[in-house]
Amino acid sequence: MAYKFPSEEWTQAFAAAVNDNEIYRTHGKPWTFGSVAMVVSKDESLGIEEDTGMILDVHQGECRGATLVKGMDAVADSPFVIVAPFARWRQVIEGELDPIKAMMEGKLKMSKGHLPTMLRFVQSSRALVSSASAVPTEFPS
Amino acid sequence: MEPSILMAPGASENGFASMLATLLRQNLDERPHKKATFARMRGRVAIVVDDIDCAVTLVFDRGRLTVYDGIYGIPDATVRTDWEMATKMSLVELEPRLGLPDPRGVVAREVAEASRSGALKVHGLLGSLPLMLRLTKVMSVVG
Repeated sequence: MAYKFPSEEWTQAFAAAVNDNEIYRTHGKPWTFGSVAMVVSKDESLGIEEDTGMILDVHQGECRGATLVKGMDAVADSPFVIVAPFARWRQVIEGELDPIKAMMEGKLKMSKGHLPTMLRFVQSSRALVSSASAVPTEFPS
Repeated sequence: MEPSILMAPGASENGFASMLATLLRQNLDERPHKKATFARMRGRVAIVVDDIDCAVTLVFDRGRLTVYDGIYGIPDATVRTDWEMATKMSLVELEPRLGLPDPRGVVAREVAEASRSGALKVHGLLGSLPLMLRLTKVMSVVG
């Protein structure tokens, strides 16, 4: 069964995929810096009527919970917020785009967060985001 | 004097330039002992990341840094590499006493090997060695 992206079901499947990711469990073990929000920018042509965020409560290599939220205000408490249009997230989910490379190219933007920490955890950051590739996904067209 | 890090007009559109400015700003805030090194830096370093067609120029002027999109002016040193190695430049381990790259560090060794193999080239290194060592020190997020 494929989950529609972005949706509550997809977000929960993503959290499960993070917890199934051995690389993330290993490299993310020292992570105690709070939740990470991945925000899909509003795109009415795709039915995404508000900025839509997936907040992952990650701690010490585990995803303790995930929430789908609407609007940038809803991710204000997350210490790390990464924002990109739908098409870029799709490339990341499909494994075509490395998240760190995408940030260097300006395709993904870290609108909030401590970059030195993110870079110190470059392997776990990559593993966290690439866990999305394991989620059977249905994209709006 | 507090470090000043500015983006030149148009540089904010360059993702790598924005990342570098953020990285240096946050690193200096988090590790104040690097501020004295930053305050001594004067010169121009270009970083060209070939595989993502991206270049930035960092113009240091004793406590003030301006980040430019592309090659701006005549750099004292030019680093050419790929995006992965450019990322690793901020992960070079430093030995604690002098803040020089630690030859025992895993990433420091990878960067040295990239330099030997040509995967990372620094043009003008000899003439700007102190500037490049200081850049390594202020960029490193692990030392």
